[in-house]
Amino acid sequence: MTLRRSAAPGLHGSRGSALIVPMVARNAHDAIDAVWKFESARIIAGLTRMVRDVGLAEELAQDALVAALEQWPGQGVPDNPGAWLMTTAKRRAIDHIRRGERLERKHEEIAHALEQQSLEEGVDDDVLRLMFISCHPVLQAEARAALTLRLLGGLTALEIARAFLVSEQAVAQRIAGAKRTLADERVPFELPPGPELAGRLASVLEVIYLIFNEGYSATSGDDLMRPSLCLEALRLGRLLAELAPRQAEVHGLVALMEIQASRSAARTGPSGEPVQLHEQNRGRWDQLLIRRGFAAMLRAREAGGPPGPYVLQAAIAVSHAQAKTAQETDWGQIAALYGALVRLVPSPVVQLNRAVALGMARGPQAGLDIVDTLTSDPALKNYHLLSGVRGDFLARLGRHDEARTEFERAASLTHNAPERAFLLKRAATGTTRVAGVTLGQAAERFLAREDLDAETIRSYGQTLRRMCLDLGAGTPLAEVTAGKMSTVFAVVWNGAAAKTWNRHRAAVRSFSAWASVDDLSAGLARKPESRERRPSIGPPQLDALWERRDTAPREKTLWRLLHESSAAARTALSLNVEDLDLENRRGRVTTKNGPVWLSWRSGAARLLPQLVEGRTRGPLFLADRRPAPARMPRPADLCPDTGRGRLSYERAEYLFKQATRSLDPSGAGYTLHQLGRSALDRRRDSPVPR
Amino acid sequence: MRFLMTSTSEQAADETLYIEMGEFIEELTKSGVLLATGGMELEGSLIRSSGGEITVIDGPFTEAKEAAGGFALIETRSKEEALEVSRRFFKILGDGEGRIQQIFG
Repeated sequence: MTLRRSAAPGLHGSRGSALIVPMVARNAHDAIDAVWKFESARIIAGLTRMVRDVGLAEELAQDALVAALEQWPGQGVPDNPGAWLMTTAKRRAIDHIRRGERLERKHEEIAHALEQQSLEEGVDDDVLRLMFISCHPVLQAEARAALTLRLLGGLTALEIARAFLVSEQAVAQRIAGAKRTLADERVPFELPPGPELAGRLASVLEVIYLIFNEGYSATSGDDLMRPSLCLEALRLGRLLAELAPRQAEVHGLVALMEIQASRSAARTGPSGEPVQLHEQNRGRWDQLLIRRGFAAMLRAREAGGPPGPYVLQAAIAVSHAQAKTAQETDWGQIAALYGALVRLVPSPVVQLNRAVALGMARGPQAGLDIVDTLTSDPALKNYHLLSGVRGDFLARLGRHDEARTEFERAASLTHNAPERAFLLKRAATGTTRVAGVTLGQAAERFLAREDLDAETIRSYGQTLRRMCLDLGAGTPLAEVTAGKMSTVFAVVWNGAAAKTWNRHRAAVRSFSAWASVDDLSAGLARKPESRERRPSIGPPQLDALWERRDTAPREKTLWRLLHESSAAARTALSLNVEDLDLENRRGRVTTKNGPVWLSWRSGAARLLPQLVEGRTRGPLFLADRRPAPARMPRPADLCPDTGRGRLSYERAEYLFKQATRSLDPSGAGYTLHQLGRSALDRRRDSPVPR
Repeated sequence: MRFLMTSTSEQAADETLYIEMGEFIEELTKSGVLLATGGMELEGSLIRSSGGEITVIDGPFTEAKEAAGGFALIETRSKEEALEVSRRFFKILGDGEGRIQQIFG
């Protein structure tokens, strides 16, 4: 067929300078790529059903694509290109099975049976199975997203890499690793059975929403590529909605994404700065997407059941979309929806959003009452929006001095420059403060003393910086009380070890004495520093831990390695890929006291190659995300391939505690220190084998 | 990328065409590509603003070879994908012609 392209189309259909180009010849590769992106999910899904290995299925599908690239430009695109690809791929799969190493009759039978099978039959269910596989919880979040875009969206590693601002090699490794994990763990190509379905579906929804947000909240990078991620996520969501139409949460997610996407054009200003929802020009909201969002919401209601987190978030988005102006927003309804959401997702961030809505619906005091319950939540101790929101309520109540402190605190916590400028501007509007030495000035002078050694100053500095952050550096020293200090300690250091608590307490005492003010540590009791060691982890608990199948590869490897090497967690975390001696099951680490070798046994040895996976240098254990520009670690703690930083001790400790909470009889979760000691203790306690 | 596809065909729709087109539209909706679609009047009116004066001229404007018309608003990753959709569309529709234009904003 031919395609007419009129260079200057007239309304009457006059085509003075029509340019006629045969469709295939336009750019054969691009045309084939377009066909591939439409068909690849169905082809790979159908092949996976045949060969039961998603990695192999993808390779076979790629073979078919290569055949198309070779044949179509010369012979022309077949009438039904999808069917052509499917048939070619199926033939490759049958050849592959026939070629199988053991040429038994059984293979021949399978191959023969497969020849009778149609790949098209039940392909919708196959695509759904493929989605569940590529979002399987056994994979890390980033691997799930990459694999889903690859298998369901037909994207190349390069396209995925551009969208996520990482190297193509990193994506290729991530995908290869994911396929290997799926094969190693023998993840079946099945729809999850009834009781598992909700959890597994939640994992799929999470991946789609992660892809969407990666595109939607991008504030840096290539602006052109990021909206493409929103589109990918929308397409995946819309597809899932057709494949699993009875799941309300799927429609909820689609509604949420459609409505959020409808605001794309309105949410950035002329110079790229973000525009808050209530200040957006609603005339620029995409009414088509809003209507699609409403329609998806109706389908969610029809599916029935109690509303889940996505349906509730979508309902909030719908409520905003229904308001023609920001003033017409039904804040009462939104507050009620956040109230329902907070019961399902009891996160302080959701609670903060509820406070904002209540503050709009019933006035600043109602909002402040809730926000004040959140200020003691350790999870929000560095969250600038908490201070920003609290400052806003205080300002609206006319409590300008307190508002200023909050805005200043918020400004010092945010990493975003325009936001900081905005918060400082808000801090500056209000009444002027009484003269006198501020906490910040006093702290600065205290730390500038010459009679303290560097280590003490570093330690005191930590305490005082946190005090300034939480109480406001601009607060007059005279207004700092022991009661306020107790609150800071309760929020920030309550969970810390007794030793840490006492160190900060000592710093406050020293500061109070130096500044000649009342003892600010008066309300802080010294904590007994117990020398008693916590028992190591028992064999049954360890066995239960190793038997878990949902542990991410990084954690699995680290835990095994700690257990088998009895090394200190910080030492193990400082391992670099280039210092591993995999063959001899050991690795070299440079510590304060010089180089040491860590040795491990078969468990870690089996897991390590997968974790290293093509990397040649940089930290062995990597953080999940790339570091924020403001917190860039030393180059030695960065992976040269992915740009991610070294996994921190704090994070590793937290993850281990979380994971072992259910195993620990005390319910607190074990520490990495206990894990490292568990093998030593057992060796010591058991009779020496002869 | 969004594209508006408009088309006219030379055959009146029969039952087979309805069924095949229905399936095609369902598939496009399912894959998340099709945002809106519908039939379209063939003649329409031409509106022209010239020197502040607006004139409306009612159709038809061409010898009426066409028998049916329609539009589709689609969202694809690339122009090539949009062309692939239109290729499939005409495969079902038969002879006719269309126009495909990218929509901005």
